[in-house]
Amino acid sequence: MTDNPNAASVIQLGGRPPIWRNAAVLKWTVQFAVLIAVLGVFWFLIAEARTNLSAKGIPVGYDWLDDPANFQLAEGIQTVDSPERRLTMSRALWVGMVNTLRIAALGIIFATIIGVIVGISRLSKNYVARRFSSVYVETLRNIPVLVQIILWLAILGSLGKLTADTGPIPGWIIISQKGISLPRVFLADGFYQFVSLLIVLSIGIRFISRSWRRRQEREGGDQRVGLKTFGLFVVAVVVSWIANPVMGFLGPIFDAISDGWGAIPQGLMQTLLSVVAIGAAVAWIKRFLNSRRTPAGMAKLIDDDWFRMVFAGVASLIGVWVLWRGWPGLSSWMVNSGSDFWGVLGDKFGDGRGAMPFDAMRPTLSEGRFVNYGDTGLTLTVFYAALFLGLVFYTSSFIAEIVRGGILAVPAGQSEAAAALGLNRSQALRKVVLPQAFRVIMPPLGNQYLNITKNTSLGIAVGFSEIVQVGQTVYNKNSQTLAVFSIYMIFYLACSLTISLVVNSVNRRLAIVER
Amino acid sequence: MSIADQALTDDLAARRDMIVCRGVKKWFGDFQALRGVDVTVKDREVMVVLGPSGSGKSTLIRCINRLEVHQEGDIVVDGVELTNDTRNIEKIRSEVGMVFQQFNLFPHLTVLDNITLAPIWVRKKAKAEAERTAMELLERVGIPEQAAKFPGQLSGGQQQRVAIARSLAMEPKIMLFDEPTSALDPEMIAEVLDVMKDLARGGMTMMVVTHEMGFAREVADRLVFMESGDVVEVGTPEHFFTNPKEERTKLFLSQIL
Repeated sequence: MTDNPNAASVIQLGGRPPIWRNAAVLKWTVQFAVLIAVLGVFWFLIAEARTNLSAKGIPVGYDWLDDPANFQLAEGIQTVDSPERRLTMSRALWVGMVNTLRIAALGIIFATIIGVIVGISRLSKNYVARRFSSVYVETLRNIPVLVQIILWLAILGSLGKLTADTGPIPGWIIISQKGISLPRVFLADGFYQFVSLLIVLSIGIRFISRSWRRRQEREGGDQRVGLKTFGLFVVAVVVSWIANPVMGFLGPIFDAISDGWGAIPQGLMQTLLSVVAIGAAVAWIKRFLNSRRTPAGMAKLIDDDWFRMVFAGVASLIGVWVLWRGWPGLSSWMVNSGSDFWGVLGDKFGDGRGAMPFDAMRPTLSEGRFVNYGDTGLTLTVFYAALFLGLVFYTSSFIAEIVRGGILAVPAGQSEAAAALGLNRSQALRKVVLPQAFRVIMPPLGNQYLNITKNTSLGIAVGFSEIVQVGQTVYNKNSQTLAVFSIYMIFYLACSLTISLVVNSVNRRLAIVER
Repeated sequence: MSIADQALTDDLAARRDMIVCRGVKKWFGDFQALRGVDVTVKDREVMVVLGPSGSGKSTLIRCINRLEVHQEGDIVVDGVELTNDTRNIEKIRSEVGMVFQQFNLFPHLTVLDNITLAPIWVRKKAKAEAERTAMELLERVGIPEQAAKFPGQLSGGQQQRVAIARSLAMEPKIMLFDEPTSALDPEMIAEVLDVMKDLARGGMTMMVVTHEMGFAREVADRLVFMESGDVVEVGTPEHFFTNPKEERTKLFLSQIL
């Protein structure tokens, strides 16, 4: 400072500002205050709900999850209670979740396929294709999805009645106003051996294919690497199908791991997890310090940096406290469930298994007062079909617009440059236009995937057994409305976050380097 | 016509026709962009196309590799006539390189991948060989150290040089330049023009739309002046810059020089 000729004109504010003017201190204080306030509000609401529910004689908590359901589900992986497989409340909710996931996943796939085709046709040079897709989009996106779903239900309800000889192929494919039933393929005892052997062989194929690809790059020409790799893969599937029992040796290994895992004393587990928690904090601080390192040496750490490092340390210490004092059951739960997991896996590879990886059953009809589908076939009820068709067509019209917009967002100069280089139309589309359109398409496409997942809750309008409909049945029976809604929220949040995670990671990979 | 001009004209007349346009007409809706253009570019000739904006210069060279479709007249490129036959179009496009005003590099690919894309997918070259050629071309345009970067990381002049290398990778017989320096900062124009001069000295047949009169005077074998979709005057640089015949040419040159 003394060497600075302008020192006289610099207003000296002192080395450090007082605490109430320090931006870093203020920032962190406010953030902590808000965090504590939010947690406080939640705490208050939960406590309030507990008192009021107890006053009404409704038990608080999630113990009711193990109660028997005492109701039947219209469809799903388990519909009725039986002595071998009890249908508890938690099991019923799980069936609902699986139904939701099934329709969401299938809906996402079909809506994407239809949407991409329609979106590209809207840009087609063919007049008929262009007009048809315009009408498709404008009609479907302007009618509320609920109306479309109920309309589909009405249309499907006008199909023929279900009798013993309903076709088109009685005993194999049955279509009626109750839905469609097909032969069902299911995973048989040999499935896990089959998959593990296939994985081992696929790793080998990957190496071979890579050496072929390198040769193609060296020598040029078209050596049909893709075709040859696919051929090898088909051979691998056949080999795994026949030879899958050889993987039976994994069973005892998994059992041994299960025993070893189960033998971990609680104290050891707590110690290990504590080491992980503290190690994570130390690693984070180390990385943080590394990022502050410049070629000229360590950058001066500002207050904000110190707050971050202290926060990381405190968070890991809280974690350790939770492990030993707050919730010691967590460690023993991890010991037990880990052991269970490996045990179940060991079971799957156990002796006497290793037969066919898949098996199939024909649909049957249950004879009662009313004829209905039995549970051997793959049955899609009209409720499923109505919800599925409504969601797929509605969402595909939005996806079509997103695809069209994404392609139009690529400057015309790009396809001109590709054409001027001699690339034909399909090469230009695949190598130049679509890779660039994708980065425009991905974020709004992710939104549509979130929408389709959340809109499956409209199944309640047509009586499809998805999570909301099942949950409603549950809280109508036991009045656990808040608890059921907390399960809804966690479930949908998990779905949405998973989709966002996937979409964001794809997006990062597609991002264009600008500078 | 001076003696030197006469000698050049005789020399050109003896060479093979690379691009022949006969009575080329083109409409955009009601607007007629080309009103019957007759131009012939000879082998190893550098032809510069001049004219005010909207005179149809860009439309003409975009018709030559069928980025625009002409409605009347014939265009013959290296003996192949441009028709709706996709095989002819593909053959011509792979023999004719084009450099755009806006570079039109593929932003999602690295510089090296930009250059090797067409040789690998159109010429079915081996990747290693295509990359070797690409590196030689980058040496030639003076930016081998930028091979692994993305277009967005380069300056305008560097991007345009990559675009030239990308066209050259297809080993074209003819290069078309559509105002290659118009989108560049003044200090970057020279580096692109140097590459183009180098190319011209190497005997490439070139058709260049540009406003760079220095380049036209130094490099061009012949100049074409266009206005409102018509070819007004064709001649050597000496003829153009000393005693142009047409009034419209004189007016244009007086405004631009």
